[in-house]
Amino acid sequence: MIPSDHFTRFYNEVFKFLEDQGEEHLEAYWLEISKNQEKHTLELFKEKGLKGMYEYWDHIRIEENCDMDLKLDDEKLELRMNVCPSLSKVLDNDAEPMKRYCDHCAGWIGPLIDKVDHHLVYDVIDRNKPQCVVKIFKDKEKAIEEEKNAKLLMGWPKKKK
Amino acid sequence: MKPILLENLYIKVNKNNLDQKLRYNDGGNVHMDFHGATNTTIEFIINKYGIDTMNDIFKKVGNDVYKDIKDHIKNGNIKMLAKHWQHFFDRENADYNISINDEEIILTVNRCTAYEHVKKLVGNVSPNFCDQTIKTNEALAEDTPYEIKTEILGEAACRQTIRKRA
Repeated sequence: MIPSDHFTRFYNEVFKFLEDQGEEHLEAYWLEISKNQEKHTLELFKEKGLKGMYEYWDHIRIEENCDMDLKLDDEKLELRMNVCPSLSKVLDNDAEPMKRYCDHCAGWIGPLIDKVDHHLVYDVIDRNKPQCVVKIFKDKEKAIEEEKNAKLLMGWPKKKK
Repeated sequence: MKPILLENLYIKVNKNNLDQKLRYNDGGNVHMDFHGATNTTIEFIINKYGIDTMNDIFKKVGNDVYKDIKDHIKNGNIKMLAKHWQHFFDRENADYNISINDEEIILTVNRCTAYEHVKKLVGNVSPNFCDQTIKTNEALAEDTPYEIKTEILGEAACRQTIRKRA
């Protein structure tokens, strides 16, 4: 068994293989993970919108030992990841970290948020630091405006224009 | 030689003042759903690239991610693998036991909670789910004086044995 604690280091090995095959291979995998995540989240997000997203990430915050602040208001959900355990483990690793490890997160979350007609702004800030800011808006124009403030804005497969 | 309990082993290890600190010594909560993502990944890679590719990735996990344990095995300290097993099977609340004698260490998993969790999540567990154990173990032992044999005893049950090569 690869312990669940070590999944991210296994994930990192999968990413390195797929990156060598080409960008479309990585994106196909992110979409597969996104589809897998739909099982836990899609109905919740559809039914409860931002509140459902808050519930999901609050559960993740605890179960994945994230140092993360969550803020919900009428217009948006904001996740401020102060110390990301996923990238932290990949960096604390005897195997080489994939340089774009952070990209997978928007890679699976983006398509899911598109599906529930909300708008994701994913600022990774710096791929070498285990921190990021994620904002999910109800209103598309507010998301577009917020994108201008991002230091390192992430995209995802088939991002809605 | 009659097997002894792992608890006894650690008394012995401590008395010998061996540095048995695990390279990856995770604490805190456990996110079992990651096993579901592992199952999805195994299916994805095998369907798209074939089983040899999946096995090559597990080989990298054994050789590179677990380099520290492998180095210990190379140097004859197979107790580090036992400690790794104990730490993570405890964290995942598996039903298992470890026995140790002069020649070998045997991990018997009576109820693998990773397998059971995936079954609960998705219904059908990949027939290659346990390859993560078999192939990672093979890589851990490769180019060392030891072999690790993984026997699947039934659903969610296996026996893993590390012993010196004949």
